Formats: sequence, C-alpha cells, structure tokens
Amino acid sequence: MDDFWYEFVEVTQTITDGLLFGSTYALIGIGFTLIFGAMGKLNMAYAGAALAGAYAGLAAFVLVKAPLVVVFGVSAVAAALLGYAIYFTCFRFIPTHNHLAALMASVGGLFFIDEVVVHVTRGSPLTFPSMFDDIYFEIGPFGIRGDLVFVFIIGLLSTGVLLYILFKTRLGLATRAVAQQDIAARLCGIGVHTTNSVTFAIAGVLGGIAGAMTAAAVGVLSPVMTVPLTVKGIIVAVLGGLGSIPGAIIAGLFIGGFENVFLYFRGIDERDMYVVALLFLFLVFRPNGLFGSTITRD
Amino acid sequence: MDYYLNLINTIGIHTLLGLSAYLLILTGQVSMAQAGFFGVGAYTAAILTVIFQWSILSAIGAAMLVAGGLAFLVGFPALRVRGLMLVVATIAFSEFARMFFYNLRWQVVRDGTEIGPNGTMGFAEIRYFNNNGWLNWEVTIFLWTFVVVVMAIIWWSDRTRVGAVLRAVGEDELAADSTGINVTVVKVAAMTAGGVVAGLAGSLYAHQVTDLDHHTFTVLLATFAIAYPILGGLTNVFGTLVAVVFIQGLLVEGLRFLGDWRMLLFGALIIVAMNFKPMGLFDNQTIRILQNALGIKRRGGST
Amino acid sequence: MKRFCKVVSVGLVSCALSLSALTSSADRSVKVLGWGAQSGPLKSFGVNSETALRSAVAEINAAGGVKLGDGSMAPIEVIGYEDSACKKDQNIAILRKTASTTDAIVGMGATCSGSCQAMFGVLQKKVGDSSDSGLQMPILADTCIRPGLAKISEWAFRNVPNEIAMYDALFAWLSQQHPDIKTFSGGTETDQGHSFITHTAVIVQAAIKHGFEWVGPAVPELGPKVKQGMKELQAAAKTQHWLMGDTNYTVQARKIKKQNPDMILVSSHPFSACGFLKEMKRQRVKPKLLVGLTSSASQETLNGCMKEAEGIIIPTGFAPITAEAQKANDIVGKAGGFLDLHSAAAWENAYLVKAAVEAAGITASSDSVDADRAKFRDALASITASDGLIGPVSRDTATGEASKPYVYVQVVDGQWKVIHDPRG
Repeated sequence: MDDFWYEFVEVTQTITDGLLFGSTYALIGIGFTLIFGAMGKLNMAYAGAALAGAYAGLAAFVLVKAPLVVVFGVSAVAAALLGYAIYFTCFRFIPTHNHLAALMASVGGLFFIDEVVVHVTRGSPLTFPSMFDDIYFEIGPFGIRGDLVFVFIIGLLSTGVLLYILFKTRLGLATRAVAQQDIAARLCGIGVHTTNSVTFAIAGVLGGIAGAMTAAAVGVLSPVMTVPLTVKGIIVAVLGGLGSIPGAIIAGLFIGGFENVFLYFRGIDERDMYVVALLFLFLVFRPNGLFGSTITRD
Repeated sequence: MDYYLNLINTIGIHTLLGLSAYLLILTGQVSMAQAGFFGVGAYTAAILTVIFQWSILSAIGAAMLVAGGLAFLVGFPALRVRGLMLVVATIAFSEFARMFFYNLRWQVVRDGTEIGPNGTMGFAEIRYFNNNGWLNWEVTIFLWTFVVVVMAIIWWSDRTRVGAVLRAVGEDELAADSTGINVTVVKVAAMTAGGVVAGLAGSLYAHQVTDLDHHTFTVLLATFAIAYPILGGLTNVFGTLVAVVFIQGLLVEGLRFLGDWRMLLFGALIIVAMNFKPMGLFDNQTIRILQNALGIKRRGGST
Repeated sequence: MKRFCKVVSVGLVSCALSLSALTSSADRSVKVLGWGAQSGPLKSFGVNSETALRSAVAEINAAGGVKLGDGSMAPIEVIGYEDSACKKDQNIAILRKTASTTDAIVGMGATCSGSCQAMFGVLQKKVGDSSDSGLQMPILADTCIRPGLAKISEWAFRNVPNEIAMYDALFAWLSQQHPDIKTFSGGTETDQGHSFITHTAVIVQAAIKHGFEWVGPAVPELGPKVKQGMKELQAAAKTQHWLMGDTNYTVQARKIKKQNPDMILVSSHPFSACGFLKEMKRQRVKPKLLVGLTSSASQETLNGCMKEAEGIIIPTGFAPITAEAQKANDIVGKAGGFLDLHSAAAWENAYLVKAAVEAAGITASSDSVDADRAKFRDALASITASDGLIGPVSRDTATGEASKPYVYVQVVDGQWKVIHDPRG
C-alpha cells in the first residue's frame, strides 16, 4: 500500500510538472496556429524568431540590468519586429496560392535567424534570468514550481487577450475576414497585407513572450533549442487543430504531460518515440485535431 | 579531382533524395517522411554489407525493397491526412525512424573488433568501397548510373499518361477521381516509389560517408528533401537537379570562401530564390529562356 | 580603348611574371589545412581551435619556422580553416578537398566525434595495403574526444586527453580528500555519443573502483573495470537521463533527489548540464560534490550557469598553470579565442606538426606532396613523446592516440580554479 501511494505521488507529480511545462509548448503552438488560421500558411521561422526575441530580452538584461518585466517586453517587441520582417521577406510577395514557396522561404528565414544568433553568441549557451525561482509550492508530498504556474497563467491570459482581439475588435474582425475570404475582404476595403502584417506581429509578440518564458523556465538559452521547439510547436498546433487557439493550449499541456509520463515509465530512449507514435495515431484517427478552427471556416 | 568527384557524388545522392520527394509533391503530398526512408535504406544496406558481407548491388536492392515496403505501409494512413497535417504526420514518422536508429544496437565481433550499429555511437566503418579497392571515379559512375536511370524513368513517365495521372491527382483529387482515376492507388504508389528512391539514396549515402548515426536523419534532412523539388520547380526532374546543384554545389561548397558568412547567406539566398522564382528555379519561364537560347522549338500549346 | 587594353594586359603579364619570380624562392612552406565547427551550436569550438592553431603557427614562424629536409627553414602556412559544421558529408568533402586540391601535408580537424569517425573511415586503413582504395592523407585531430577513434586508420592521429586515466585518478584523489562522501548517482545526455559512453563506461566505473557506492537504480553488473556493466547501466538508469536539447529536467532531477547521493555526476555538455543543474537547484538538491564531463571544463559552462555550477569538479587537459600555458593563454585570448582542453590541443598540434616535419625531412615542394604526406605520417606515427602546454605528452605509436597530463579544476566564485595537479 505504501508503495502504491509512493508511486501515485510520483506519477501525479510527474504529470503536474509535465502539464505546467507544457504551457511553454502551448504558447509556441498558439503562434503557429494563429498564423495558419489567419493565412493558411505555416511559418517555419516562428520558433526561431521567438527564441531570437528571447535573446534580445537577454541582451537587455545583460547590458542594462533590466528587470524581468522589461526583459519580457523587449523579447515581445523584438519578436514582433522579426515577425513583421519574416512576413515581409517570406510571405508578402509570394502569390497567396503558392503554399510551398512560402513554406520554403520561411525555412530559409529559420536558417538565417538561427545562424545570426549563433554568430552573435558564438553558439554558447547563456544563462537566462529566472522568475520566481525560489517560489516552490509544497502541498503535502507534492511540489509545484512557482515559475511554471506563472507561465501557465500568462498562457491563459494571452489566450484571453488574443481571443478578445480576434472577436471584439475591428482588427480581429479584419483578420478573420481576410482569413475566410481575402478577396471579399479586399472589396470591403480591408488591407490584406496590412492585416496580415499585424497578425504576424501579434503572433510575434506571443512568440517573444513564449521564447522568454521557455528560456526562463529552463534557465538557459541555446541555439540547440530552435529545432526541437519548432517541431514541438507544429505538433502542438496540429494536434490542437489548426486555427484553434484553445486547442493549441490543451494540446501543449497534453504533450508536456505525456512526455513526462513516458519518461517516467519508459525512460529517455523511448520517451519521444511514444510521443510521435501518439501523434501519428491521433492524426490518422482524428485528422482535424482536437478542435477545428476558430478563425477560419473550412 | 577527388574532391570534385565527391561533390558530384553528394549531388547525385541528394538528387535522388529530392526526386523521392518530387514524386510525392506531384501527387499533392508534401512528405517529410523521405528522411526516414533514406535512413532505413542506409542502415539496411550498411548492415547487409558490413555484417552479412553481401555485395553492394544486392544490399542496395534489398534496401530499396525494405524502404519501399515501409513506404507502402506508411502510404495508407497517410491518405487520411492532407496538407499540413500530412507534413506533421510524416515528420512524426521520420522522427520515429530516427529514434529507432538511435536505439538500434546490433554488434557483431569480427577480427577482434566490434562492428555494426551501436545506438548513439553510430555505425562506423562501412568500408565496402575502400575494402574492395573501388577507385573514386568508379564509385561516381556506379552512383550516377542509378541517378540517371531514376531520372530517366521519371522523365519518361512524365511524358506519358503516368505523369499526367500523378499531376492530375496533385492538382485536384476530386476532379481526378471523377475521371475514373483511383486516387488511393496513385497516392500510395507515389509514396512507395518515393520510398524506394529514398532507400536507394540512403544506401549509396551510407557507403559514401562510411559512418551513420541518428543525428543525420533529422527533420532538417527531411526539409532539404522537399526543398529540392520546391526550389527546383515541379515542371520536370531537371528542376530538382538544378536545385541540388544550387544548394550543395553553390551554397554549401561554392561559398566556402566566405568563411562563416556562408551559413548566413544560406538562409538568405533561399528566401531570395523563393521570392524571385516562387515556381522554382527551373520553372516554365526558365525553360522558355533556355529553349530560346538553344533555339529549340516549343511544343505546341504549352505555356 | 584598344591601346588601353594593350597597356593593361602588358602590365598584368609583367606583374604576374615578377610575382612568380618573387615567390619562387620564398615559395616553400609547410602547408596545413584546418577545419572545425564554425557554424551551428558548436561554433565556439571551431573558432577557438582555429585561433589557437593560427596563434601557435605564428609563434613557430616568428621563432624561425621548421627545418626542411635540405636544412633550410620554412614557415608553416595554414592555408585555410574551413567550417565543417559537424556534418559528416561536409567533413569528408573538406578532407577530400584538402587531399586532392591542396599541397597540405596534414589535415587538422575536426570538432565532432561523429565527423572524425566518418572521416577516419574513408582513409586507407593500413599503410601500404594496395587493395584498400582509401584516402592516403594524414589527419591530426584536436577535439574529437570519443574513446578509440584513431585506431580506425593508420593515417588518423589525435591529441585528445585520455578520459579513462583522468577519471580514474580523479576519483582516487577524491576518495582520499573526501572520506565523508560515500554514495553517488548521476545522469548523462544519451544522444551525444561522447557523453553517453564516457559516463556509462568510464566515469561510473572509476567511481566504483575507488570505493564510492552507486545508489542509482540497482545494476548488479556494475564494477570497477571500464565498460563493466555499461549496457545494464544504460538500461537501468534511463529514467534519469536526458537528451542534449531537452528543456524539461523535472523527472530526472527528482529521481536523483530521491536517491539522496552524496556525489552527483552530471556527464553532459554545457547546455543540458546547465539545464539539469538549474533544475536541481530549484528542487533543492544539494549534493556534497558535483563531478562533470571533461568537455564542460570551459567558458560555455560559466556562460550558461555560473552560479549553479559552483563547486563542480572536472578533470581537464588544460589550465594556465605553466609559463608556457600562461603565455599561450594570453596570446589566444588577445586573438579573440579561449584556450580549453580542446583548443589547447590545437595549439599543441602545431608544435607536433613541427616535430614530425623535422623528423621526416620533408622537402615541401609541390611535386612531392604524396611522398611528403607518407613521410609525415610515418614520422608522426613514430613520435613517442612531445611537449604539451602543461607537461610532456606521450604518444602511443600503435593507436595514434595521446596520453596527456591533466589537472582538476573547479568552479570557485564563478571562475575555473585549478584545485589539484596530480603530478604533485
């Protein structure tokens, strides 16, 4: 009985840690899903821009000892600017129906951003200021990281803000109009390129915050994080249903939790195999993800 | 000379990899699974020549069968997902394959040393060519015979009904279906063919670099595989070849003199290429220019 | 216009002629070509190695250069340093480029062990084996540290520390210094060959050999000999290991925390080592001692987690403890690089090249490149001792490997400090 209780505590703790960490995946997933929902395109450079934003925030910390709030702010702004730059260079001039060319251009963008980061930092991992590092809630035998709770809350808040923007403001109306029928939207006087740029910028803000939060949660920034985060973000976006923001959140938590559970039971060698197998099965049996699309009608 | 032969070999292998993705993109399936089939082909052929001491041709043949068989199996569930979902599903497959190789351990003792795949440590000393005294130019001819044959087959089928059927499915599945084309058969056949070609590419790769580990068969490689046909254009097989020469020849090797600016330009030039030639480097416009330059009469009706 | 062209072409031709006259006498130099990771996450390795190599070569040339076979002195010329990006095919391409398009007598690279494994595989395995069409080009590596690589080919040589000897000596010393420390556990990154094999085949066993008790998951096969119980340990401990790009170390840290070991091994490169160390700090895991992986005795670890790495002890092949080492450290530092156990080997390799060239009596003219390479290889293979920056290095002529002196360093107040030199 004692053993069972012990196992129960351990597994619950594992799941909780995983769920909370999954908020970081969720935030990145939301960015991918937002852009897909609004434009029907995949921005492969997104996670790279998010991390680059985090590096910019780190620069603020290292150079002028900025407080954490400012660090997040700088990350958000930097990633938003990068988001706009990516839109301009990889999506703006490529014909809208040509998904492949835009995809490839954004891959080029990913390589470029990653290499710039490597050049500036010489590839070295860099310590990132942590938030609420000493806050550790202990509830009986369980411990919950304060900083991950904060990330979770911010994730929920951003979702709220994002949904508000999408459904309660003119900008959101324009975004949804462009997503559903860009020709009709143009006829109504909505500037398609302006709207898309703003969408990318908003996604960038989210990405910068996501990047900074992930960096704060790990404590270290390194270019090795880019590809795993890109893959995870895309998986989360697809699992949640492309275009669905609540879907991305749930999928992110799901992946985070499952990852940890698989690690706990089957060890590091098989952890990721189960995650991708799960994804593959999910896609085969539920190809549209958890929830369809909140932004477009398909 | 050796260096240039090596580069030509690399271009050949990557052209095969690109062509395997090309076949699939023609049918409208953007597949990131090619890295997985490439890896399966590589490990299968290497295990056969190193552990079982098969000859290179049989090993390559077997690798193509295994990769093709696996692709056939993947083709069916892949039917259920489309577009971006397929991209993700195939990423999942490639990652699964990569993790399989990361865990794969099959060591045999020969002449006092352990040989064979050893998990994270990789699979070292796949020395069939060197051990059997193959000279570099012999390897090049061997490898490129395969490339030319595959290109010829795809080129030829493109000019027959096979190509039309593939492209019809890629253009509009519903329309293709309503003209009596069995879309399922076409898509699975394309996936299988793609697997066979990727397996061929992988088996050649294994023997060229003599060493394999899971770090090679990543999402990045899968991205390169689809980059070649996208960058090159889907008009014909030469587009893929042109793209491979552009990336491997120009960007990777040609720009070495730029030192550490090379990798920076890599991403930037891809962006530039896609903005200026969104239908690929070897698109209809390029073909028209070439035809005019070479004085070839255009086939009637084509734009 | 025509006249202008004529003048220009005459001018160019005469320039070319006079240049060739000028260079023919000072033409001879011993050429080497280096490569390493200069892009991607391991960029600092390549940058440091290049800086170290070029600085050392500059020092050698300033002191007169190397003596050729005919008695004349000639400089060493680093004709290039390429970016091999830790990709096998790029490494092989650069190797073949060096071998077939340049006069370099030795290739000095690469950074990643997997790349070296691939490169050594395309070389001729045994010298003089005419049935083997492998490349006949000597390679002298400074960073590929995974155990046992140079024996793949007789043309392959390395100047890397011997981790078996280092950890054996380290734990011997630690067991004397810290009799209060009895138990240990630890984790590693499993997708990085060097870390994974060194942890599960060398470090754990060395600790057991010197009396420390493994309190991780039970592995009865574990023992004091290298590789003893390696496979069983890899299987048993897989819930407390991680991947080199992981961001979430909660499960692993908690597992190890529950084991309550006195000493914890963190056998991984700086990014994941720092990620893990930071998680341990969050979970209030405070072991009495931390031991790390050789490759992490570097500036990167300080950049990534200076505070959390406080107290970690690592055996390393370089520290500025001798006059030589201090001087090299200053020179490389001014040139914009860092010397650590990997890049210091690149510095030493320049001098090793000098020694081998002089022993071989190389003529360094462009029509004798193949002969020079063979002579150089033979000479390098027969060198049994050379000068390292912190002490003499012995070389094993059978395997092409080095046996290097080492010291133990520890992060003290955010800096690496040498806490013990086992040579007394």
